[in-house]
Amino acid sequence: MKTYTYKKSVALFKRAAKVIPCGIYGHLSPAPLVPATDYPFYASRAKGARFWDVDGNEFIDYMCAYGPMVLGYNDPKVDAAAMKQLKSGNCITAPAPIMVELAEHMVDTIAIADWAFFAKNGGDVTSYALMTARAATGRKKIVLVRGGYHGVAPWAQAAGHPGVIDEDHSTIMYVEWNDFEGLERLVNEHPGEIAAFMATPYHHPTFVDSELPAVGYWSRVEALCKKNGIVLIIDDVRCGFRLDMRGSSEYFGFKPDLACYCKAIANGYPISALVGTEALKTAAAKVFYTGSYWFSAVAMAASLATLKELKRLKAPELMMARGKKLLDGMIDIARSHGYTLNVSGIPSMPSVYITDDESLMLHQDWCAECTKRGVYFTSHHNWFISTAHTDADIKKTWNVVDEAFKVVRKKYGM
Amino acid sequence: MNTDLVKAHLNLNAVLVNLEDLVVYDEEMAALSKNWALSIQFIVRNGPRAHITFENGKCTVGRGRRKRPSIILYFFSPRHLVRMFDGKAQPVLLKGFTKLGFLLKDFPKLTARLEHYLKPTPELLADKKYLALNTRFTITTAAFAVRELGLLDPVARAISSHIGNGVVLMKVNPEGPAAMLRFQDGGIEAEKGDTAKPMSAMLFRNLKTANDILNQKLDAFTAIATGDVMPRGRIGMVDSLSLILDRIPLYLG
Ligand SMILES: Cc1ncc(COP(=O)(O)O)c(C=O)c1O
Repeated sequence: MKTYTYKKSVALFKRAAKVIPCGIYGHLSPAPLVPATDYPFYASRAKGARFWDVDGNEFIDYMCAYGPMVLGYNDPKVDAAAMKQLKSGNCITAPAPIMVELAEHMVDTIAIADWAFFAKNGGDVTSYALMTARAATGRKKIVLVRGGYHGVAPWAQAAGHPGVIDEDHSTIMYVEWNDFEGLERLVNEHPGEIAAFMATPYHHPTFVDSELPAVGYWSRVEALCKKNGIVLIIDDVRCGFRLDMRGSSEYFGFKPDLACYCKAIANGYPISALVGTEALKTAAAKVFYTGSYWFSAVAMAASLATLKELKRLKAPELMMARGKKLLDGMIDIARSHGYTLNVSGIPSMPSVYITDDESLMLHQDWCAECTKRGVYFTSHHNWFISTAHTDADIKKTWNVVDEAFKVVRKKYGM
Repeated sequence: MNTDLVKAHLNLNAVLVNLEDLVVYDEEMAALSKNWALSIQFIVRNGPRAHITFENGKCTVGRGRRKRPSIILYFFSPRHLVRMFDGKAQPVLLKGFTKLGFLLKDFPKLTARLEHYLKPTPELLADKKYLALNTRFTITTAAFAVRELGLLDPVARAISSHIGNGVVLMKVNPEGPAAMLRFQDGGIEAEKGDTAKPMSAMLFRNLKTANDILNQKLDAFTAIATGDVMPRGRIGMVDSLSLILDRIPLYLG
């Protein structure tokens, strides 16, 4: 198989580095890609489950823009709805009716939702959820799971990161994932002080395996929060609509008070949402929270079309089945080369690691070899499956995976 | 937290260690110290201890106390030691009065030369040999400073406590210099040199990039994309290490 080179990406990056801090920042930064030079930096176009970089290389995309792409890039139904709305108006002095329609649809779709509030990014609504919980309880403290990701607000970043100061964490406390007793201890140690416990439906940190909730974990957490007047916030930004259309909490059988949505909500159009129970509606209303583009009607139209299409396709089940097929095949191929491929999390957003080298260098080389052959795998982050990944994509992926294993076997001889 | 205490630890345990390589790689200093046969014990009240031994043309710097040093330098406080390193105070000589000549005349030549290598200017860095030594010392200082900060600086301690077990290698390709940090169950050890099987690595394309990164002149994100810095292995460890490295200038420099 031919392997890719990235001349134009590199040239563009050099220009970027002069005028943009670190060239490409945030989650699209090449920094966690290993080696970064084996990955494309700039995309020129995308369609379905594929994208093309500026050098003309074609990739089957298993990152799905880190989650937002869920129906395939440039989905005709979603784009048509967005374009139709654009022609009527986008950011106007008053919101468009589509906002009400979308909120109604979300309330109908998501089990715990009695209301919906829209913003742009996941971090907008995780912060808003904390403010709402504080407004509702009159309490300050927040409990988070260590290693969880809720965006880039200072409270959500780990201590020691540039620009983050100690005071940003003065009200934040951490527990380990799945450690109900640890949470209970914190609650007992801080009676009447904890406003909220926020966590993702299951634990999907970078660099390591994902962990599903232990049996009984969520129902115990839910009961503990209820008993102590603590707002239970589920950050469904990444899992949302990839596990269950009614909310990932339904998948795991519990009921949070607030739920944050973003990534899969509008197939790439910029919008996020906080949904919540009736009991928190007044508190949510009292918190002043807004942004210049939060009423953009185009994204709302795209979101409504996306949610309808996801529902029609039974997308979570479809993506989990596709993911399972892909991964089962990959595990077999790995085994045929003498390697162990460990898959954790849910198959629609799996965490995949080769376990034969503890340092992950072999795994990193393997992901890079796949990417250079047109199957975009990162080695540090869970992958994403969309409804647009076809059987043909899966077959091609298997072929590339097979060859990449041959290449790393030659290099590592193990 | 006591900033002077951290600075004292850094000076004794992360800066002085470079004397070991100074007498190897700087010919003049090698010649100067060739016949030295003595040892210096540093004692800081309510602070760190360290010792330097010169023997058979070799210099060894260690933490804590050594047996029968020829010279004992005493400091009333971490601040006292820090002021000495800034050239603003003198130590108290507890032992080694017969070595006064060495202390006043010879040893300062060595420390002055080390200081010269640790205080680069763009002109100095244009010199290949200077760049090589400055980079070597910077990597060593960085590695040994991470150990001190990981134990003493509250933020660095919080970071290092979650870093996981294993060796993180910092190395200039292809042949070094290199230094390692061994994280094991909350303990941290720094070491000069290379290893074939690190848990993670921060590899620098060449001396210049290593120098720029470690002296905060270039951000790692950009440098990784251009291939000037290549993290490998457990990237979370490298990320955490970078965060601790970023804290060194708060105390040194
Ligand atoms: C679980 C989770 N919460 C919050 C966020 C932050 O979302 P955003 O980057 O849109 O602010 C993310 C983004 O990856 C996420 O995965």
